[in-house]
Amino acid sequence: MHHMLHIKNGIVIDTKNGIKAEKMDIFVKEGKIVEESEIDKSQCKVIDASNKLVVAGGVDMHAHIAGSKINTGRTMRPEEMRMVRQIANKFRASVGRVLLTSPAIGYEYAKMGYTTSFEAAQPPIGALHTHEELDAIPMVDKAALPVFGNWHFVFKYVAENDIEKLKTFIAWAIERTKGFGVKVVNPGGVEAWMYGGNCRSLDDEVPNFGVTPREIITSLIKATEELNLCHSVHLHCNNLGNPGNFETTIETMKLANGFSNDKRQVLHVTHVQFNAYAGSSWRDVGSGAAEIAKVVNGMDNVTIDMGAAIFGHATAMTGDAPFQFTLHKLLGARWSNKDSEVEGGAGIVPIMYLPKNPVHALQWAIGLELGLLVESDKVVLTTDFPNGGPFTEYPYVMAMLMSKKMREKELERVSPYVQKAANLPSIDAEKTLDEVMHMTRALSARVLGLENKGHLGVGADADISIYDFNPNEIDTSNDYEIINKAFRNALYTIKGGVIIVKEGQLVDEVWGTTYWVDATNKVDTEAIEEDLDKYFELYYSVEKEHYGVEEAWIKNPTRLVMG
Amino acid sequence: MQMLVIKPKVDFVVTVEAEITPDLAEDLEKAKNFEVYYGKDKVKLKELFEITKEGDDKKLVLDGDFSKVKWIGCRMEDGEIVVKGNVGANCGAYMKGGKITIEGNADDWLGAEMSSGEIVVKGNVKNCVGCAYYGDMQGMKGGKITIEGNAINYIGEKMAGGEIEIKGNAGDFIGTEMTNGLIVIHGDCGFVGGDMKGGEIRIGGKFELMPTFKKSEEGFVGDVNVGGKGVVKTL
Repeated sequence: MHHMLHIKNGIVIDTKNGIKAEKMDIFVKEGKIVEESEIDKSQCKVIDASNKLVVAGGVDMHAHIAGSKINTGRTMRPEEMRMVRQIANKFRASVGRVLLTSPAIGYEYAKMGYTTSFEAAQPPIGALHTHEELDAIPMVDKAALPVFGNWHFVFKYVAENDIEKLKTFIAWAIERTKGFGVKVVNPGGVEAWMYGGNCRSLDDEVPNFGVTPREIITSLIKATEELNLCHSVHLHCNNLGNPGNFETTIETMKLANGFSNDKRQVLHVTHVQFNAYAGSSWRDVGSGAAEIAKVVNGMDNVTIDMGAAIFGHATAMTGDAPFQFTLHKLLGARWSNKDSEVEGGAGIVPIMYLPKNPVHALQWAIGLELGLLVESDKVVLTTDFPNGGPFTEYPYVMAMLMSKKMREKELERVSPYVQKAANLPSIDAEKTLDEVMHMTRALSARVLGLENKGHLGVGADADISIYDFNPNEIDTSNDYEIINKAFRNALYTIKGGVIIVKEGQLVDEVWGTTYWVDATNKVDTEAIEEDLDKYFELYYSVEKEHYGVEEAWIKNPTRLVMG
Repeated sequence: MQMLVIKPKVDFVVTVEAEITPDLAEDLEKAKNFEVYYGKDKVKLKELFEITKEGDDKKLVLDGDFSKVKWIGCRMEDGEIVVKGNVGANCGAYMKGGKITIEGNADDWLGAEMSSGEIVVKGNVKNCVGCAYYGDMQGMKGGKITIEGNAINYIGEKMAGGEIEIKGNAGDFIGTEMTNGLIVIHGDCGFVGGDMKGGEIRIGGKFELMPTFKKSEEGFVGDVNVGGKGVVKTL
């Protein structure tokens, strides 16, 4: 039910519109934020937000919330499903410790005041399954990023240096999978894994294709920019999870030099915590976060997200199949490997981050270091759910970024290895509340190219969260416990103008939209038809005619046509 | 402290999930109002059972057919439970101490993941005795389970300590992925010791050994597939 809403006397932080904890009113009509004059006050529901923080709904731009990976994770971890969060009542049953069921994902985001979440790695051939799972997630707006970095078509066009055909293929593939942008996972490395290898450096050649990760990344950035997609290339770097990999990460970021975009970055490097290790082995591994921060801060066309590690249970699941095998060997834990035909692969391994384990404590520290050392306009807060931990711990990360005192307290319980191998103990910086709100809202929306998300200006979607503290009275350095608690349970979460959470409890269920990007108007798919026919006939297990997802099959789609 | 006698009032149509422990013997009123699931409905213990006080021990006497009642003695720490008839699945799961005596038969998952205490079954039991629940890394870690009759498949899977003694016969998959502890089977059984890493299995009757065990003075040592040092030998 869409009400007109009048959110009265709230203390608003809206970094996109330069509003820094000012007392003001917000008006909502038909799911959008409007001017006061458009509201009929006699028919309007009033929410008294006096002395409460009012911000835009949170935007999670990188989480694994749907698709074959998380579902395989659920299958191989029955123990995750013993935690019953909610028995079916007015809402659906919600189950799961870290690997949540689809309804639980929507509900838990809503309770935290998050209203948008993007599935960050969709195997293209699993697109239908991914969309069916996204359709089962209530409360939030969502989308999925198909993976391109190991697709044979991409290798072919990169090898031929045919950017036009690459653009055409990207537009075709995103339309077919009803995807949102170009995700790249360990470019070339997963193809090499088909033969037991990997591409650990930018210049390792992909077997049988004569291309290198450097060429793949550069060509994909070029094609994405020429198509002017909403979102930039979203990259999971080569050499992930190996000591000394921070150098590969820095070298990769520099590939963005020479590209620019007025609205957003041209390269988003994701879950950088897993790509920010110094040292030469697990014995002398250290933090490379400071070096990476220096590079990111010096560039104006690259953004990153943290991929913070949280102590406790997690499940590593990435399209980076060779890394997952390394992790399986390292931990001795269960392992599942997925093959997605000529598109790449994936792996899944359960993991538990222990505070007393030197490596885990270092990972925990590196995630936070990235959040602290990188400028707030360039780093998004994520845990790479469920790789670094549950997204339900974002409030913990927020509080840690804002309080040196909290970090000192937490450092007491972690392995002393952090003291010598990480920078965290010596970092005095504390992010402000404005900055943390920016990192979780306006910035992530901008990185994704969503103009109506992450802010409260007129015309924005009425995705609003209200938290139970006054930003002008709170001392974020000392009141970390209040912060950590308040962000777990929003006082109100409003999605598209509907109140869905009140005092941390679900009160109404809504179904967000699934965004997908249509850039086929910019290309002529005739140009690649012959190649598609040939590859489908030779290499795919499905017919081309049966490949992909029709818009009508999606519950509530929003098609974004690229201009 | 008091001893409680608990009798079913009716024949149950669906299963009851009753995580009752001897702690209930502390207070008769509390016991009567203890919440259990009858199918999908949450009900009070007194709605399904007659509960009377007799004697002063920290003890529950379950008098009647409890074969549809699951999770009896789950997580119990001390005291005693005597079941006069049969008992349902998951009896004594995660048990930390005390004693459960079952005069009839027991169902699946008897003493699953228990860490201490004792379970004695006078009759037969079904599958998954002292096993790990799906996905968990360790099964039974301590304590003792004695079965006077027979058991079916999966005995002590991922067992990490304690002892299981079966006086009759058992089925397949004995001590799979076992890391420590002792399994004694007086009768015959099927496949033994797959992926066994440690611990000991002693068998009185016939059994089938995986081909991945080496003969030694002690008996058979393996499973070599996982570099295991488990021992399988005859009684």
